[in-house]
Amino acid sequence: MATTLSTPPSDTSAPKRSAGRPARRRGELRFVLACLLPALVLFVLFMVVPTVNVFRMSFFTWSGFSPDMRFVGFDNFVKLFDDQQFVRAFQNTVALLVVVTVVTMGSGLFLAAIMTRQRLRGRNLYRFVLYIPNVLSVVVIAAIFSAVYDQQNGLLNGTLRLLSLDGLQQVWLGDQDLVLWSVAISMVWQSLGYYMVLYMSSMASIPEELYEASGLDGASTTRQFFAITLPLIWQNLRTTLTFFVMSAVNLSFVLVRAMTGGGPDGSSEVLLSYMYKQAYTNSSYGYGMAIGVVIFAFSFLVSLLVSRATRREPLQF
Amino acid sequence: MKDSTRGALVVAARTLVAAVCVAAVVAARTTVGWGNLAIMLCGLAGLLAVLASYNRRYL
Repeated sequence: MATTLSTPPSDTSAPKRSAGRPARRRGELRFVLACLLPALVLFVLFMVVPTVNVFRMSFFTWSGFSPDMRFVGFDNFVKLFDDQQFVRAFQNTVALLVVVTVVTMGSGLFLAAIMTRQRLRGRNLYRFVLYIPNVLSVVVIAAIFSAVYDQQNGLLNGTLRLLSLDGLQQVWLGDQDLVLWSVAISMVWQSLGYYMVLYMSSMASIPEELYEASGLDGASTTRQFFAITLPLIWQNLRTTLTFFVMSAVNLSFVLVRAMTGGGPDGSSEVLLSYMYKQAYTNSSYGYGMAIGVVIFAFSFLVSLLVSRATRREPLQF
Repeated sequence: MKDSTRGALVVAARTLVAAVCVAAVVAARTTVGWGNLAIMLCGLAGLLAVLASYNRRYL
């Protein structure tokens, strides 16, 4: 503005330029909107509309096939309160979320710290071996663990027999008390390598001088981990915590579906598998969508709380 | 109380609370019911509270 005012009247180029600026800005805005439009359309079409539809359908009873759809208001949600199988699926989901997150995150951090800080021989091999499960399809992992847990010829019971520990043999996927933890072990096995590599990549970017300086001050390895490593990889930890919430809900569904089908007697049912069962097998689409709304609200709330609880200023180093 | 002693006590308390929360989640799962689900959700909330209390000094 100041430049325009101080320009001599004879110089005509400056006013022209300032008059052309809004037009140019409008053109840029149109260009940006045109670039964003395809992505926005796809996002609305495949994300917003289906999500809104889930909320809408939760207020109806519908078999999923017939043209009859009846509005029932909050009846589907009221029904959830009397459904013990839903409560069990919810409990299983929370149990998997807590246990798998704690175990995977703890082990991932521990292994990443060892492989980054200790000069282990063959650490690339260990990293490769631990990362392999992440490359495999979840269904393949389910098949592997179904074979491992097999009651007669499984690796686990076979090894126990070999070690003369017959008393410890279990029906790993048939015992109502054990089945969820058997699924939890396969979830940990599947994701451990992925999180370990993520943490390792963050740890590798921490300057070595920080460790040298703290070492000269007499800091132990544990102290270095909690005072240097953990604060400097915090942003990565935050992200992975959100991943844990999502994978506890999503990954558990695929593994439960492929390994146990929710059994025995619904003892390994998780929220998504129960929703799927209600919506597509039990022909209670509206009820299934009500469960979907609960899953959405639960995942959203936990992710929000995790984000709030772990928020901090990023450290520059 | 020395700062180092106080720090060690805080770490021990946090670890204890976190362990109790995980144990509550695992134990409450054995019985199906809204009450038990509430206990499990409290355990989850407790873990998040421990995380928030650890993170508070970095805000």
